[in-house]
Amino acid sequence: MGVKKIGLSACMKAEKMKLKRSFIWIAFFIIPVIPALMGTGNYLQNIDILKSEWFSLWTQHTLFYSNFFYAPLIAVYCAYTWRVENFNHNRNSLMTAPVSVGCIFLVKLLNIFRVTLLTQIWVGILYVLCGKTAGLPGLPDVVIFYWLVRGAWGGMGVAALLLLVSMAIRSFAVPVAFGLAGGITGLMASNSGYGMYYPFSLMMMGMNSNKYEDVLGGEGLQFMVFSTLYVVLFCLCGIRWLAVRDVKA
Amino acid sequence: MIVDENNKWHIRSETFFGCAPEGRMDMMTAIETEQLCKSYGKHMCVKNVDLRVPEGSIYGFLGPNGAGKSTTMKMILGLVNADQGQISVFGEEMNRKNRLDVLERTGSLIESPSYYGHLTGRENLEIVRVLRGADKREVDEALKTVRMEKQQNKKAGAYSLGMKQRLGLAAALLGKPKLLLLDEPTNGLDPAGIQEMRELIRSLPERYGMTVMVSSHLLSEIDQMATHTGIIHKGELIFQDSLEHLHEHSRKRLLLRTDRNGAALRILEELGCRGKMMEDRISLPDMEDEKVALCIASLVRQDIGILRVEEYQRNLEDIFLSLTGKQVSL
Repeated sequence: MGVKKIGLSACMKAEKMKLKRSFIWIAFFIIPVIPALMGTGNYLQNIDILKSEWFSLWTQHTLFYSNFFYAPLIAVYCAYTWRVENFNHNRNSLMTAPVSVGCIFLVKLLNIFRVTLLTQIWVGILYVLCGKTAGLPGLPDVVIFYWLVRGAWGGMGVAALLLLVSMAIRSFAVPVAFGLAGGITGLMASNSGYGMYYPFSLMMMGMNSNKYEDVLGGEGLQFMVFSTLYVVLFCLCGIRWLAVRDVKA
Repeated sequence: MIVDENNKWHIRSETFFGCAPEGRMDMMTAIETEQLCKSYGKHMCVKNVDLRVPEGSIYGFLGPNGAGKSTTMKMILGLVNADQGQISVFGEEMNRKNRLDVLERTGSLIESPSYYGHLTGRENLEIVRVLRGADKREVDEALKTVRMEKQQNKKAGAYSLGMKQRLGLAAALLGKPKLLLLDEPTNGLDPAGIQEMRELIRSLPERYGMTVMVSSHLLSEIDQMATHTGIIHKGELIFQDSLEHLHEHSRKRLLLRTDRNGAALRILEELGCRGKMMEDRISLPDMEDEKVALCIASLVRQDIGILRVEEYQRNLEDIFLSLTGKQVSL
C-alpha cells in the first residue's frame, strides 16, 4: 500500500492554523513599535547632525530594532512554534502524523520565515509612518525595502538555529535569552569584521543596520551563500535530532 | 499457556490464541513484535516482549501502572526507539524507511489526548485531517461518532477531561486507520463516560474494520471490552491469549477439607479424581453432582472425616493477582 503523500503545502496549512488566535500576533504588532519610537525619538533629538533624512531615520530605527529586538522577536516565534507542541502531549500527535520529520521541521521554519517577512513589512510601515510624522518629505528610497527583505533572509539562519534550540530545550525563556545575547554578540562580531561568519551578524548586515551606505557593497553573493549555508546546516541538525531522538511529550 | 507448580502462569508460544504454530498462519496479525526491549538508564522497562495482535481484534493490553504499556505502544508508533527487537505492523516492518507507510494506517491516542488549547475542537480536528490527508467530511463524521457536534466550536482548552478524551479519539479516527492504538482512553472519565467510551471502542472493529489495541490497568475494563489480551508486568509479557481462553482458566473447582487430607487425596486419585493440595484443602476439578456424592461417600466409608466441601471459582482478579503478584485495580 502506497503512502498518501502529505506535502509541504498541506503541512504549511496545518502550521498556519496553529497560529490562529496565537499570542505571537501581540508580540508581532507591539515589539517593532518600541524600536520605531526609540529610533524616531533619537532621530528628532539629533536632527541637527543627521542630515540624510530617510536614510538617517533608517540608521536610528535599525540601531535599536536590529541589535536588540529583531533576534529576540524571531526567538519568540521559534519558541512559540515548539511551545504549542510541548503542551498537552501534542508532540505525540505531531510525530505520529504520516509526515516526514524533514517536512515537520522545514514547515515550521517556512512558517517563521513567513511571519518574519510580515514583521519586516510591518517594520517598513512603521518606518514610513514615523518618517512622515517626523516631517520627512516624499517617500524613502526603494533600496530600504530591499534591505528589509534581505534582512528577513539574513535572519533565517538565526531562525533555524533558534528553532533547533526551542525544540531541544523545552523552554520559552531560553531561546529568547539566546536571541537577546545573539543580537549583542552579533553587533560585536560585525564591528570586528567577522560578521559574515556569524549568523546573528548576518541578519543585521542584511538589514544594513545603522548604516547609510550598503554595508555589503560587492559582498551580496557572499552574504547569500553564508546565510543559506547556516539555514541548511541548522536544518540538517534539527531534522537529524527529530529523527533519532525519542519523543518526549 | 501453562501453570507451574507454584501456580504461576506462563506463555507457551505454540498456544497463542489457542492455535498451533501452523494454525497461526490462518490468523493475520496486525501487530507483531519480536524480542522488543527498551531501557532507560539501568532500568529495563520493556523486556523481550513478543506481542501478537490479531487483525480485527480488540487487544486489551493490561498491566499495572509503570509496567511498560505506554513505552511498548510508543515503540510500535515509532515515538520511542527500541533498543532491541523488531516490530511489524500488518506484516510491514516498522523502521525509519517504512515509518510513514505504517503511520498512515495507524491512529493513536497516547498518554493523554493531544490538543491545541487555543483552538476549537473542530480546528484541532481540521489540523489532524490536513496532516492525514483525509477527506473534509471525515471531520463531521468523527465529531458525530464521538457525539461532539454541539461542542465543536468551543476552545479545546475549556473542555472537560472527558471531552478532551473524546476529541482525542475523534482525531485518532481521522483518515480511517486500520489500526488504532489507545493508551488508557478511559483515564479520568466519569462512570457514564467510561461506559460510553467502552461502547464506542467495542463498535469500531465492526463499524470500520479496525483492529484496536487498548491499554488499561483496569482488568474489569479489558474484560468488558477486549477479545484478546496481553498482560505485561515489570516490562515482561506474562500472558497473552484470547480473553475466552483466559476465562476458561477461571472455571470452577471444588475445595475439600478433611481430617486426613493425605489419605483422602490417595483415595480420590483411586476414584479417578486427581486433586492437589491448596494450603489445608484439597483442590479438585469441577465435576457432576453424582460424582461428588460418590467421592464423599467413599471417603466417609474409609473413616475420613469431611470437615468442609466448597465450590470455588477463581475470578479474573485472582488470575491477574497470581500472574503479577500485585493487587489489581478495580
